[in-house]
Formats: sequence, C-alpha cells, structure tokens
Amino acid sequence: MIATLPPGVPDLRARPSWRSKKSRLMTLLMAAAVVAVAIPLVAVLYSVIEHGAAIVFRAFPDFFTKEIPVVSRRAGPGMGPAILGTLLVTGTATLIAVPLGVLGAVFLHEYGGHGAFARVVRFMATVMTGVPSIVMGLFVYLTWTLHFGYSAFGGALALACLMLPVVIGSTEQMLRLVPAHMREAAYALGATKSRTILTVVLPAALPGIVSGSLLAVARAAGETAPLLFAVGAATAYNPHLFTEANTALSVQIFGNATSTAFVAAHDRAWGAALTLVMLTFLLTLTARVFTARFALKK
Amino acid sequence: MATHITTPWLIATMAALGLTTACGKKPEESKATGGSGGTTTTTPGGPVTLNASGATFQKAFQEVATEAFTKISSGTKINYSGGGSGKGRQDFADQVVDFACTDAPYKDADAAKVKGGEFFYIPNVLGAITVSYHADVDKLQLSAPTLAKIFQREIKKWNDPAIAADNPGAKLPATDIVVVHRSDGSGTTENFTKYLDLASAGAWKLKSGSTVEWSPDTQAGNGNGGVAQIVKSTAGAIGYVDLSDAKASGLPYAAIKNQNGKYVEPTAAATSAAGDGIEVKDNLIFSALDAKGDAAYPITAQSWCLIYAKQTDKTKGTALKAYFRYLVTDGQKLLPEIDFAPIPNSLQDKAVAQIDKVQVP
Amino acid sequence: MIDLRGKVQHADTAFRWIALAAAATVLVVLGLIAFTMTDRSLPVLERMGLRFFTSSRWSAPEGEFGAAAFIFGTLYTATIAVVIAVPVSLGVALFITQAAPPWLKKPMVYMIDLLAVVPSVVFGLWGAFVLSQHFGLGRSFLTAGIILAIMIIPIITSLAREVIETTPNTDKEAALALGATRWEMIRAAVLPHSKGGIVGAVMLGLGRAMGETIAAALVIGSALGQISANPFKPGNSMPAVIANEWGEADELHKSALIALAVTLFVITIVVNLAATAIVQRSMRRSRGG
Repeated sequence: MIATLPPGVPDLRARPSWRSKKSRLMTLLMAAAVVAVAIPLVAVLYSVIEHGAAIVFRAFPDFFTKEIPVVSRRAGPGMGPAILGTLLVTGTATLIAVPLGVLGAVFLHEYGGHGAFARVVRFMATVMTGVPSIVMGLFVYLTWTLHFGYSAFGGALALACLMLPVVIGSTEQMLRLVPAHMREAAYALGATKSRTILTVVLPAALPGIVSGSLLAVARAAGETAPLLFAVGAATAYNPHLFTEANTALSVQIFGNATSTAFVAAHDRAWGAALTLVMLTFLLTLTARVFTARFALKK
Repeated sequence: MATHITTPWLIATMAALGLTTACGKKPEESKATGGSGGTTTTTPGGPVTLNASGATFQKAFQEVATEAFTKISSGTKINYSGGGSGKGRQDFADQVVDFACTDAPYKDADAAKVKGGEFFYIPNVLGAITVSYHADVDKLQLSAPTLAKIFQREIKKWNDPAIAADNPGAKLPATDIVVVHRSDGSGTTENFTKYLDLASAGAWKLKSGSTVEWSPDTQAGNGNGGVAQIVKSTAGAIGYVDLSDAKASGLPYAAIKNQNGKYVEPTAAATSAAGDGIEVKDNLIFSALDAKGDAAYPITAQSWCLIYAKQTDKTKGTALKAYFRYLVTDGQKLLPEIDFAPIPNSLQDKAVAQIDKVQVP
Repeated sequence: MIDLRGKVQHADTAFRWIALAAAATVLVVLGLIAFTMTDRSLPVLERMGLRFFTSSRWSAPEGEFGAAAFIFGTLYTATIAVVIAVPVSLGVALFITQAAPPWLKKPMVYMIDLLAVVPSVVFGLWGAFVLSQHFGLGRSFLTAGIILAIMIIPIITSLAREVIETTPNTDKEAALALGATRWEMIRAAVLPHSKGGIVGAVMLGLGRAMGETIAAALVIGSALGQISANPFKPGNSMPAVIANEWGEADELHKSALIALAVTLFVITIVVNLAATAIVQRSMRRSRGG
C-alpha cells in the first residue's frame, strides 16, 4: 500500500538521482576494468595465433615432431625437441616437487600444528614463494650446472624449487578443508595416524591437491629465466634426463625472438609461443574443471 | 568418499600426460635443406654428441658447419648453445662443455683457472662489424674519431661538422642521432670498442669490454638482431651490427676510414684483406682490428674455438679433432654464403698444424 | 594373539619422519641459496663496499659496479605496474563479487586464470614485437610497467576477491536495508572490511613485479645509469641486467651480478613477508568478528 503524501512534504522514500547515478557509474567503471583486463588477454592471444598458427598448422604435425633447424636463419618448422624438453623438464620437476610438497604439507598440517618447527617451515615456505625465478636459476647454476654440466635435470631442479612452496601452500589449504570427523572416525576404528592420512585424508583432499599441482605445473612450464642457466640449447631430440644439453619451448621463444634478425626464426618463436600457450591453457582448464567437479568445497 | 569417482579421472589424466611425453619422443630425421653430396661416413667410434657454448658472433658459422659436417660424418651431433664469449670461456675452463668459441682470448688471470690443462686457440672465422644507420644519407663515410664521438654522445646531430668533414660534399639532414648498442654482454661490443680504443687517437673514453658504460640517453637491443631491429625502426639511429644481421635486415652501413686513410665498405673482399695484414703469435692469437692495407675493412673481428691439448675421451676427442679440422679447411667454403670471411691460407695451415697436436687416448 | 602393535608403531613413526624430512627440504634449499649466493657476492662487495648500492656507475671494464640505477629501475617499474594494476584489479574483483550476474562469474574467473598462466616470455614477446614496435611505445620504464601490470593483475584480483568474499553478509545487508546504493554499500561494508587484505594483495603483486625477469628485459630499454622520473625514458632493472650480462661476464662482473640477485632477493622477501602478514592479520580479524 503506497500512501500518497500530503502536498508540501518531501518524499524521502526515493533516493536522490545523483546517488543512483553515481552507483551506476561505479558499476560501469568496474565493468570497464573487466574489459581492460580482457583486452590484453585477447590481444596477446590474437597476436600469438596470428603469427604462430601459420607455422604450427601448415604441415601439421610437422611443427611438433621435426627437429629444430640447426641453421636458424632457414625457414622451416620444428620445435619437437623443445616440446619434449619442456615436457621432460616440467614432468621431472613435478615428480620431485609434488610428492615432497604434499608430504611436507601433510607434516605441517597433521603433525606440526602450531609447533615452533612447523611455524618456521611455513614462514620459510612463504619466503620461498617470493624468490624471483632468476635467483633460482643462478642458484642451480652455481650448485648443479657447474659440477654436472647442462642437462634437463638441472632445469628440473630449478623448476622444482619454484614449485615446491606453491604445492605446499595449496595442499595445506586442501588438507584444512577435510572435515575433522573423517579423521576421528578412522581413529575410532583403530587406524594409526599414518594410515588415516594415507587412506582417508589424502584421498579426500586429492582432487584439490591435483588441481593445485596442475596450476603449479602450468606456471613452471612457462618459466624461462631458470632454464637459461641450466639447460643449454640443443636442436636435436634429447630424451636423456641427466646427460647432454637440452632445450625447452620457453628458452626457444626467448632465443629466437631476440638474438636474430631473421624472419624464419621469429616465425618459429611465435609458433613455439602458441604451442606453449596451448599447453598451459590445457593444464589450467583441466585443473579448474577438476576442482569444480570433485574437490571439497569450503 | 570420492575415491571411486576420482581415481579413473586421475588415471586418465596421468595417462594423457604420459602419452604426450611418449609421442614426443619419436625422433624424426632432420629436414635436409641445401646440401653437399659427398660420401657419408659414420663417426669412427660410434655416435657422439659434442656440447659447446660461446660467442654468438660465430653462431651462424657453427650452425651451417654442424649441418654440413653431420652429413659427412653421421652420428656426430653438435649442440652449440651460444651464450656469449665470456660464457664460452667460463664453461670451457670449468669443463662443462666439450669445446667453446670466443671472440677474445682469456685474460692472464682467467687463463690460469682453466681446469683441463693446456689448450689451443684455433681461429676459424673473420667477420665484419658494420656501422648500420637509418638516416637520409647516401654512402655514409665515417672515421674512427668521429665514430667515437658519436657513440659517446659528443656528436648529437647528423649534420655535425665532424661528420661533414668525413663526407665532403654530401647533404646531411639536421636530425638527432639515436645511438643503439647491445643490452647483453657481447664479444661484438668488445671488439667494436677495442677498435675505437685503438683507432680513435684518444677520442674514445669508455674503454673496451663486453659491456661498457654507455650514456643513459642511448638505446639498447638484445643481440645483433635486437640492435638491427631498433636501428631499422628508429629514424636517425646508428648502431654496430654484424654484417649478417645488417644484410638480413636490409640496413645501409657506412664505409669506415682505415689506417691507410681509405674509406672501405664491409665487403667479403675487404674483410679478407684485413686478414692478410695480421701478425699472428705462436699460439695463434692475433687481432684483425684496424688492419693495415688499402683494401682492408678496419672493423674486422676474429673468433677462435678452444680445444684441450690432451683429450680424455677417445670418441669425443676423435670427433672433436675431425670437426675442428673441418672448420678450418672445407668448412671455410661455407663462410661467404653467411657473410663472413675465411681466415687467410697461411693461418689455415697453422691452425691445422695446431689441431694435429691434440692428443687423443 | 600376535602383537602387531610394535611393527605398526614403527611404520607410523617412520611416516612421520619422512613427512618431517620433506618439510625440512624448504629450510635446506633456502639455506643453500642464502649461503652460496652471499658467498659469491663477497668479491664485489669487498671491492665496492656500500658504493655498490649508492653509485649508479656500472662499467665492467673498469671494475666499477654501482647498482643504484637498477635498484631504482626495479622499484620504479614495479610502482608503475602497481599504479596501473590496482584500480583495474579492484574494479574486476568488485565486479565479480558484487555486480556480476551469476552466469558471468565463472567465465570471468576462468579469464583471470588464463591471464595468470600465460607465460611471461610470451608477454615479453608480445610486448617487444607488438606493443613497443607496432604501437610505437618504444622501450621504456612505462612499457615495462604496462607489461608488468598485465602480469600482476591476476594475482591481485584473485587475492582481493578472496578477501572481499569474506565480508559478512549481515554488514552488506544492513547497508542495503538502510537505503544505500550498491556503490555506497561497497564503500560502507566491503571496503573497510577488506582494506587490509587488499593492501596485502597489492604488495604481493608488487613483489612479483619486482622479480619478473624476461618480460621486463625485452621491453625496458636496458639503459645504464638511468635514474629519472620520466617514465618514457629507457631504464633497466636488476633481473634484466642479470639475464642480459651473465653470458659475457668475467669473475668480478659475475660476482656483481650475483650481488644484484641477492639484493633483489632481499627486497622481494621483505615486501612479500610484509604483505603476507597484513593479509593474514586481516583474514584472521574478519573471521573472528
């Protein structure tokens, strides 16, 4: 029931139009911000596809399987070794960082609690997330490459160091979401702590751990600086982990784009960029879908 | 519990990742582009991979030489990763690579730190460093003192009297000069600045090194290609670029005044002429910069590859000797196509003699 | 009855020790980094002393290494990046949480995720070829700042979003019930509550911008000794210098570059720690009441 006001009395029910207008303006600005973020994403993707699609899809799947031309000024596809290198280095880094990270997070959350040691480790893990990637690269160069030469493993070590604190952080978050009653039920049935963790807690947190790790992997696959110091620059396939120099997509992009003036090299750089972007997007989307479908929610 | 739902998905994801890795492992023959006929022999001692790093100046030569050498000695893979002369010298001293190439010899203090014992310098390429520019000037001529003053930002405009003195009768625009140099450490920078040190009669003050203290109002590019890119896209720019990249970018370059007072362009003939007038030490170290001779291009740089006198691995040692010998004999024929110049014949003979001294177990 | 308790106990304890060792690797790695890198920076610090941080002369042939210009460049480009990124990130975070229709929320979150995952080298490639060449922006503090801004927007947005979402509904509804417009509700309920967390998120973004190597190296201009407030001038940053000059550096020069890395490390750690402390405190406070 809307009463009518006697004449002369101001209607305080309606808002002054300038307040509504201001609110609408701010909403518009926020929407503009979203557009401002979409623009570079679309622009970068457009450039990468525009310059890279030709070489990647022209003689599909040559680009993914042929070797990198030894003579960089010659036109021709081939980033196969770089793709293998990226997969090898990133895969090994994952095999190192994920088990270590998950176990470390398990310790912090299930055993360490608020004890001094756990607090120090958590603190240091936070510190470690902030280490610039080039510092990791130099560190691996000084400790590994100088003694053992260039290899895919050196690169994997550097990436593992970058991934470890991220995996620890996201795993701990997931472990926190596992309801206490699940653990208590297991204890009540007589399970030891380790058995509870391995058979009850971890499986429950697993989807979240997997998606968190996939995101860490996606970031690691795109790293360039640490690999420059540890991996070398092969042009031929090198499936060996510990011996001989290798290469990776990110390193190839950097090298081909910057050092030479030859169009053929630039083409390959864009093609490698497209490949790398496709790979990292695939990993990220998989991670998100995983979380959405399977993970424990807050 | 979610285990029964997630496990199949997990297995699927891991399998997918595993499959992609396995597929990636399928090696294919590298595309045969161009090519010399000739007999293919397998590498004596079996397949071998040689890792190397060092001067980007000779990267192009290493690339074509590797490609050609692999055809005549299949089974030898050579990975030349560049990274700079300094890196090459360091990697060689630390024995992280099988051989390295450098535009400049070791400093005495660093030579003492080489871990593998006695080693040889094997010269294998001469190359011209051009002074490329982007200005409305036809057939620019420059002398070393003028060059020094330009790159030190004492001369700031294209119509400066010093430039006019080098180019009598030419019409010079009144635009600003934009100096472009390398952002990354570089043997090319080192040789260019060394030339200015030698030939500018004291005008050059920034000394010589792989990086020098360029004035803040200059531009820097990454690699020869980076500098070429900037010169090409910036009106009034001038920069030092190796001949290969200058030609690939379609840049005009200046004729430089040599010791004999002649203005010489960086042609293949002029680069070789610079090689003819050099004094070579016993260990094959020399400098082709500011060479004597009417036809010599004064900013000619040289590059060596390093090899240990006593090899420890039989297969690698044999392959190394064969590759090095190829570099200084048949491989020299590949140089003109990539805009470098071969070393003089007398020097080739000395280089071969040096390589023969390398002992393989 | 066989008493299995002993064996089971051993396995249980063993697991605990394995997990502890895994956690301890963090300490081991950090310790090694700190030790090896500080050790290798000593030569240049002995030679230059405090001048390493105050002088802006960087001349390798003379053995003169003053990092002031690079420290300035790192801080300056990171500041530019933050100045650009903060309003945009806040706008996006607020839009996603307060103003977006539900069907739009998930795609926008995906979009932010994708932006976060584009490798920095691809941004660098785009920046060098498209932004600086094609659009003629050239290479300068500003171009680097723009690229860095694009790279840190996802971090700031995600964190800000998390913090904003913890705003108690009661506060928001109270403001609306009193007749506030959406913007007024945000100002009255959301922002005061999230202030601390947002500041923390911004500082984390700052830390990330300072450590970025490749993208910056390709577009910053690589000038030496440039300390200037003019954003259009070419400059340099610590990670870019390290990446660019490492290949040709001799022993002393390498020591200088490692000293740069240590300086960068310390600065980013300080910023990151301050940020994390602020974020954690504000989250704790919000959950508590």
